[in-house]
Amino acid sequence: MDVYLINELRKIQKKEGYISEKAIRELNKKTGIPLSVLYGVATFYAKLNTQKQGKYVIEICNSPSCYVNGSLNLIKYLTKRLGIKSGDTSKNKKFSLHICSCIGCCDEAPAMLINGKPYTKLTKEKLESIFKKLK
Amino acid sequence: MQILKKTNQKAYFIAKGLGAEKILLILKAKGLLGRGGANFPVWQKWQMVLNEPGDEKYIVCNADEGEPGTFKDKFILKNNAELVIEGLLIGAEIIKAKKAFIYLRGEYEYLIPKINKAIKLVKNKTKSKTEIEIIVGQGAYICGEETAIMHSIEGKRGQPTQKPPYPNEKGLFGKPTILNNVGTLAEVPLAIYYKDYNPNLRLHCLSGNVTKPGVYELPLGTKLKDLMKLGQPKNKIKAVYFGCFGGCMRYNPEMKISPEDICGKDCILGACTVIAVDENQSIVDVATNIAKFYEFESCGKCTPCREGTMRILALMENISLGNATRKDLKTLKELAEVIKETSFCGLGQSATNHILTALKYFKKEFEAKCK
Repeated sequence: MDVYLINELRKIQKKEGYISEKAIRELNKKTGIPLSVLYGVATFYAKLNTQKQGKYVIEICNSPSCYVNGSLNLIKYLTKRLGIKSGDTSKNKKFSLHICSCIGCCDEAPAMLINGKPYTKLTKEKLESIFKKLK
Repeated sequence: MQILKKTNQKAYFIAKGLGAEKILLILKAKGLLGRGGANFPVWQKWQMVLNEPGDEKYIVCNADEGEPGTFKDKFILKNNAELVIEGLLIGAEIIKAKKAFIYLRGEYEYLIPKINKAIKLVKNKTKSKTEIEIIVGQGAYICGEETAIMHSIEGKRGQPTQKPPYPNEKGLFGKPTILNNVGTLAEVPLAIYYKDYNPNLRLHCLSGNVTKPGVYELPLGTKLKDLMKLGQPKNKIKAVYFGCFGGCMRYNPEMKISPEDICGKDCILGACTVIAVDENQSIVDVATNIAKFYEFESCGKCTPCREGTMRILALMENISLGNATRKDLKTLKELAEVIKETSFCGLGQSATNHILTALKYFKKEFEAKCK
């Protein structure tokens, strides 16, 4: 079976939560692809993380359709609620927050993904009820 | 909706029975154009790859739908993925590709089970030997560009390279490759199977300040007011954006949504994406938001786009905060023009369309923010 690097990196991230230096070194041994190339690819894509992530990775959309439907207020609320900025992980390693580009949920704006699952038509109240379910 | 019709893989068997040349003639006669935004005739793209020498050829389905405000591919994959797979296998059959790819944006990874189910079903029915591989994109707007998507599948950074050669000559792994949008591939079986196939219907993605956003299948050239009637905006609509790259214009109810009518106004229609912006929004703030998008998504390959989008964002933030002068507006326009003229790829070249059109149609809003 053929190996596709971007899918391999995704698999590593799914399993370990992020792409560690150790994982890159192992991939280098397995595939023979130079470390520099592997690191170059892993850092090019916004969804691949080379830093340890929280249990729940939140990607909240701030592209125009969400923006004109109030995404900025939700982002401000999330930043305050979680005590972290975009790109950071909370101290208890529970949440990582990323402001991201359009996730294609423009028809249900504002929207976000938590570990890849879409949550749409968000309001502050809805955010709270979602958080209550995240153990 | 035409796009929700089923063909139950009958188009695949018609294609297999008739052979490549006859199928291309049918696609030509039916007037099937690409749905990714460029409106390129499908038969012509396929013919070019068919004409290339060699046995190793590929077909790629572009499901990296990254243009803000666009969600038609998600709609198709959610509701009629079988059609896309059938179209992909018909293309593979025509050029004798042993391998086909679906480059699915990572943001849609929740659709993978649905797509896998459709692949299994369609492959079982058609007995096609073409192997289908799903490559999951990892969040890079640039990978919608035709050379960047190839590099991304090859395991490289998704950056564009010089054209020519075009993918039809040297695409994936240097071999002739068909690259078609999800929407295009879904139309292929419909065009082959249905005698009354209508090539003029387009999936319009309506979002923004409307109460009924969604995918609306309407004929090309539908008036904006008719689309807006379906969207039921609460407040008066001030502007429409054709995605981010397409730029914006003042809402004109009588304006027809067709490439000819919209491109004449400095905008690009692309894939019929319409983001409605109402009078409660500030165009300066929307422009700042879009500037952030481009600054974040610039792939970093060429200087005008990498540095320029960063400068545009800095200028826009200044204007938005009320710290800029009229002179800054002149700089903004000049910089936007330079980026448009000198960027390496089509994405960079359109990264400032939204600024240039906003300055053209909403200049007063910008001036009001300046000292």
